[in-house]
Order: sequence, then C-alpha cells, then structure tokens
Amino acid sequence: MAFLVWLEQTALATWVGESLYGYPFLLSMHVTGLALIVGISSVINLSLLGVLPVTARDVQGSLLRLAWAGFAINALSGIALFTSQATYFVTSAAFLSKLLCIICGIMTVAIIQSRCRSNRSIGRVLPAFGLLCWLAAIAAGRLIAYL
Amino acid sequence: MTVIESVVNWIEGGVINSWVVGSAWVWPTLEILHFVGLSLLLGAIVVVDLRMAGLIRSLELTAVTRLLPLAGLGFLINVTTGVLFFFGDPARYSVNVGFQIKMLLVVLAGVNALWFFMKIEPQVQHWTPGSAPPLTARLVGVTSLATWFGVLLLGRLIPYIGTG
Repeated sequence: MAFLVWLEQTALATWVGESLYGYPFLLSMHVTGLALIVGISSVINLSLLGVLPVTARDVQGSLLRLAWAGFAINALSGIALFTSQATYFVTSAAFLSKLLCIICGIMTVAIIQSRCRSNRSIGRVLPAFGLLCWLAAIAAGRLIAYL
Repeated sequence: MTVIESVVNWIEGGVINSWVVGSAWVWPTLEILHFVGLSLLLGAIVVVDLRMAGLIRSLELTAVTRLLPLAGLGFLINVTTGVLFFFGDPARYSVNVGFQIKMLLVVLAGVNALWFFMKIEPQVQHWTPGSAPPLTARLVGVTSLATWFGVLLLGRLIPYIGTG
C-alpha cells in the first residue's frame, strides 16, 4: 500500500490526474490500443473459428505485430492511468476482473502465436476463449466507472 | 426555437429517451456494446485499409475484402447504440463540438467507403498479387484509416471537448 501511495505522488501521477491534457490524452491512447489488440485478435480468433478467411500464415505475420503494438500502447497508457488513482484501483472489483481478463486474453494470443509458428493445431477452444476474454475485459473496464 | 432545440424537445420525454435513462443498467450496457462494436469495426477496417494502402502486402486481397462484413457488423452495432446514446441525452450531444466533428467524420468515412465499393472493390481481383495497389486505392485506404481513427478519438474525447 505504501508503494501505491508513493505512486500517486509521482510526477507522472500528478500530470495524469491534474493537468488539462494528461487524462484525455491517455484515454485516447487507451482506446486506440484497445481497437488494435481487441480488434485484430478478434479478426484472428474469428478466422480460426472458420468465420473469417484469414489464414494461419497471415496470423503469424503483420497482423500479430499490429495486435502486440496495440497491447504495448495499452500497457503503457494503462500503467500511467493507474498511477493517478492507484489506491482506488486495487480495491475495485471491476478493475481487478479486467486485469484478469487481459492476462487470459494475452496468454491466448501468445499460445495461438506459438502454435502457429510450430505448425501445431490450434482447435476452437482457444479462439473462442480469447473472444470471451476480450468481451469480458471490455465489460469490466467500462464498469470500473459504475461499480 | 432553433432546429436543434426542437429536435431535443421532441426526443426528451419520448419513449426511447425514457427507456435509455429509465434504468441504471441501460447506459453502461450500451457503452460496453459500443466498445465491442468499435473493436470489430476498427479491427477489420485497419486490416483492409493497410492492405489497400499497400502497407501490408502479404495478405491475400480477396481474403481481406471478406473481412468487410465484420466491419459492417461493428458499424451496425455502433450506429444502433450511438443513436440510443443521442436519444438518452440529446441536449448534451447536439451542442457538443467533439460530437459534431465526429459525425462529420463518420459521413466522410461513409462517402469514402461508398467510393471503395463502387470503384475499388470491383477491380481488386484484377490486381497482381503482392504488388502495390493503384494510387486511388492507396488514397482510399489512407483516408479510411484517418477518418475512422478520427472518429474513435473524437468519440472518446466527447466528455472533454466543447462542452462549454
């Protein structure tokens, strides 16, 4: 807890919480990253489920790099947003649920990537689970403001 | 009374307005659906646009165009939930500069998409696989990327822009 209190007093947290542009700028980054990581992995997952026509070769290449870029944007913007209200966020059930969903979603992307690379079969459970993780992450993320 | 004021008056107290603001769960549920819709729309459109712009050439063109129904589904979800947002709080949205620019960009993106469907998509099968797309296709791809990301950012910034 002492660490979180310290975090809230850093220059970054002050910029996020009190400057005119900090918070809206980070929210903009966060929704851009969300569109990339959730959007691209949904395209990949739906393809693996046979709904869309993208192939395993496409999944390994540029699409996955784009998805990871989205995740990087969101990890960074998310950490910055977290610093502004760190002590509150760790007590929010919605926030903790969101974090869990993101960890599961990202692990799904990583497992699909490694299976694609080694030409192992992926099946339908992983992509279906991945879709569910991102849906739940979005829902939990929105509910942070309400619960 | 201006046109905007009379539209706001007509919406407020109506059936849809009462439903949207009537219970606590409607607004957050619409927000969740709006985020799901934007993910589907942007996820699919980014892949199509990057291929059209020639920035990703490894993807097969005909496969890429088959992603478009997913973008259409995302757009449909977001038009529906978006109209419900507007009906839920017409006085706020109608005068919000961020919202007004967002709607302008949606129209621009729509005209650009119409151009794509009429002029570009019918030609896609004649292109050489792996080669750079024609200039018009690259312009349409870049315009689409710019307008949709503009829509995304302005949407997120509505609470912060031009609310007076």
